[in-house]
Amino acid sequence: MALFLLGVILFLILNITLGSINIPLPETVKILFRAADTDTAYQSIIWQIRLPRALGALLSGAALAVSGLLLQVFFRNPIVGPHILGISSGATFAVALAMMGSYLIGMTYVSPLTLSLASFLGAMVVMVIVIAVASKVRDVITLLVIGLMTGYVASALSSFLIAFAQSENVFRFVIWTMGSFSAMTWDKVSLLAGAGIILLIGSYLLAKPLNAFLLGENYARSLGVNVKMFRYLVIFFSCALAAIVTAFAGPVAFVGLAVPHLARLALGTSDNRVLIPASVLAGAAVTLGCDLLARMLFSPVELPVSATTSLFGAPLVIFFLIKGKTAL
Amino acid sequence: MIIRTDKLKVGYGKKTVVSDINLALLAGQFVCLLGPNGSGKSTILKTLVRMLAPLGGEVFLNDHNIHELSSREIARTTAVVLTEPVSPGLMTVYDIVMLGRHPHTGFMGKPTALDTEKALEALRRVNAANLAARYFSELSDGEKQKVMLARALAQEPKLIVLDEPTSHLDARHRIEVMLILRQLTQEKGVTVIASLHDIDLALKACDVAVLVKDGEILACGVPEDVLHEEIVAQLYGLENANFSARLGGVELKSRQQGAVVFVVAGGGTGAGIYRALARQRLYLATGILPVNDIDYQIAQSIGLDVISTPAYEAPQEASYQAALRQVKRATCVIDSGFTVGSQNLPNLELLRAALAAGKTTLTLRSPDEARALFSADRLHCARDYFELISAIRKTIG
Repeated sequence: MALFLLGVILFLILNITLGSINIPLPETVKILFRAADTDTAYQSIIWQIRLPRALGALLSGAALAVSGLLLQVFFRNPIVGPHILGISSGATFAVALAMMGSYLIGMTYVSPLTLSLASFLGAMVVMVIVIAVASKVRDVITLLVIGLMTGYVASALSSFLIAFAQSENVFRFVIWTMGSFSAMTWDKVSLLAGAGIILLIGSYLLAKPLNAFLLGENYARSLGVNVKMFRYLVIFFSCALAAIVTAFAGPVAFVGLAVPHLARLALGTSDNRVLIPASVLAGAAVTLGCDLLARMLFSPVELPVSATTSLFGAPLVIFFLIKGKTAL
Repeated sequence: MIIRTDKLKVGYGKKTVVSDINLALLAGQFVCLLGPNGSGKSTILKTLVRMLAPLGGEVFLNDHNIHELSSREIARTTAVVLTEPVSPGLMTVYDIVMLGRHPHTGFMGKPTALDTEKALEALRRVNAANLAARYFSELSDGEKQKVMLARALAQEPKLIVLDEPTSHLDARHRIEVMLILRQLTQEKGVTVIASLHDIDLALKACDVAVLVKDGEILACGVPEDVLHEEIVAQLYGLENANFSARLGGVELKSRQQGAVVFVVAGGGTGAGIYRALARQRLYLATGILPVNDIDYQIAQSIGLDVISTPAYEAPQEASYQAALRQVKRATCVIDSGFTVGSQNLPNLELLRAALAAGKTTLTLRSPDEARALFSADRLHCARDYFELISAIRKTIG
C-alpha cells in the first residue's frame, strides 16, 4: 500500500517535471511553491498544462480502477472492466453524433466542452438503460450480456455515422476514442475531482456488501445484503466513475481491468475494504506512468493514452497472474 | 417453533414444483429432506430462506411472515449452506468465516473483539481452526464445506438450512459434517434442515425425515416411522435395490438364473458371502436361518432364496427338508463358518449331506476345524473371499 502511495507521488513529480520542454527539478519545485523569481513561461507550462494534466490522469486512473473493481466483484468475473456495460460505447456514440452530426446541421466547430457533455450524456443514457434492465433480470450474467449487447448496438450506430462522415472528422473521432489527457484544464480537473471524490467515497461505503458478494449473489442475500438496492448502487457508482473519465479523457482502456488485479495480487487479499483504497492509489500511479510514457516515448509526437496502458498493462497482468495466484 | 409453513407452494415462475407443504420445525430439531434428484428439495429450501418467492401459502420465521422481515433480520436468524461452488478469490478461511458476522457488524463491517471470538469459535467447532490462515481456494472439497459451515455458524443462527451438505464429500467428511450438525442441534438448540442423499445417514442422524416426491410431501415424521422398505422403494423408484429399515441401509438386489449356489450360514457369517457372490451373478440360496438372524435380514434384502425357521426354536423338519432339496439341486455348497450350537445342528447335517452326495463343498473354516467337524477330504478350505470366488468359478465354469 505504501508502495502504491510512493508510486503516485513519484509519478506525479515526474509528470510535472518531464516534458518536451525541459524544466529543471529545482525550478519546478520553486514554481509549485509559487516562489517569486521564476520564469513566467515555465510557470504557465507547469501551472496551466502539466499540473492539471497530471491531476486529471491521477483522478481518472483512480476512478477507472475502482469502477473496474466494483464490476469485477459484482459480476464475479475477472475479465470485466469499466466499459463492459456499454458505457464507453454509449459515450463514443454520443461523441460521434456530436462531432459528425453538428457538421451536418452546418456547424463548423464543436467545443471540447460540448464533446464532454455529449460523452457524459451518452454514458448516462446507457447506464439508465442497464439499470432499468437490471430490475427485470434475476442473475448478473444476463445483465452482463445485456450490457455487452447495448454496447454493440451503440458501436454499430457509431459505425453508421463514420460511414457517412468526412475523413478529417473520422480521424479526429478515432483519436478521441483512444483517449488522451492532453486537453485537461483546471475547469475539467475541478469537475472531475468534485464528482470523482464523492463517487470514490460512495464506492468505499459499499465495501461490506461487496465482500459478501465474493461468495456470490445467493450467499450475499443470505447474509442480509439488500441485493436489489446493492445492484443499483454498484451499477450507478461504477458507470458514473467511468462516465466522468470518459467525458474528459475519452475511453481510456485497460486501467479499470488491470489495476484491480495488480492491487489484489500485490496485497494478497480480496478484501474490498483494503482493495478500494489500494486501487485508488494503484490506478492513479499506473495512469500517471502511462500518460508520462504516452507523452515522452516519441516526443514531441504524443501517443494516445490507451496505447500505453494496454501495451504495458497487459504483459504486466500476465506476469502477475503467472507468478502469483490466479484469482479474483 | 422456529419455522412453519402453511400450505406452501414452491416453484419457479409458473411451474409448481412441490405444493401443499405444511411443516413445523421446533428448536433443536434435525430435519432432513429426502427425495430423488429434481424432486424439489432445493426449491423448498430456497423458498424457506426467501431466495425464491413462494407461489402460494406462507412461511413464518419465529411467527413472523418472512416477507415482512428485512434481509438483515432474516440473516440474523437463518444461515444457509448452498450447493453452488464459491470462488472468493484471495480470501483466507478466516476472512470467509468472518463474512458470517456480516449481519452483526456495523456499517463498514469492522469486526469487534466479540466478532473475532465468534468466528474463531465457529472454526473450532468444525475442527478447522488449523485452516484459518489458508486461502479458501486451496482447500479440498471437504475442508471447504466445513469452512462454509463455520461461516454459517459464525452468523449465530437459530436455523441452518443446508442444501446437500454431504455431496461430493468423502466418508470421513460426510460423517464429520453430520456429527457437527447433530452436535449443534443437541448442544446449542439450533434447528437444522438439510436435503440429503444418504438414506442411511439420514436415518441415523435426523429427528424428522420429510420425503419429497412427484410434487408432494410423500411422508413426514420420525425416520423410523417413515422410512420403511416400500416407501423408500417408491421414493427413489428402486427396482434393483432394497432398503432395509432394520439394517438401516440399502442392499443391491440379485436375482440371477443359472447354477445354484447354496450357502449354509448364520449369525452374520453369511453377509460377506451373499454380497460377494451376488456380484458374481449367481443364483443364491441360503438357510436354514432363524428369522431373527442378521443373515436372514441381509439375505432378504439382497433377494436370496431364503429357507427360514421361527426364532428361538430348533429348525422345523419342513425347513430342513426344503433346505435338503436345495442342497441336492445346488452345483456348489458353501459353509460360511457359522458357530455351531444346539439350535443349528441341522445346518451341520446339511453340509454333511452335501459331502455325502459328492457336491463341491467349500468352507471358510480353517482346515483343522473343518476336519474336526466333517472328517472329509472333499471339503475345500478357502482362506478368503478371493479363493472362495475362484473355486466356485472353477466349479461352475
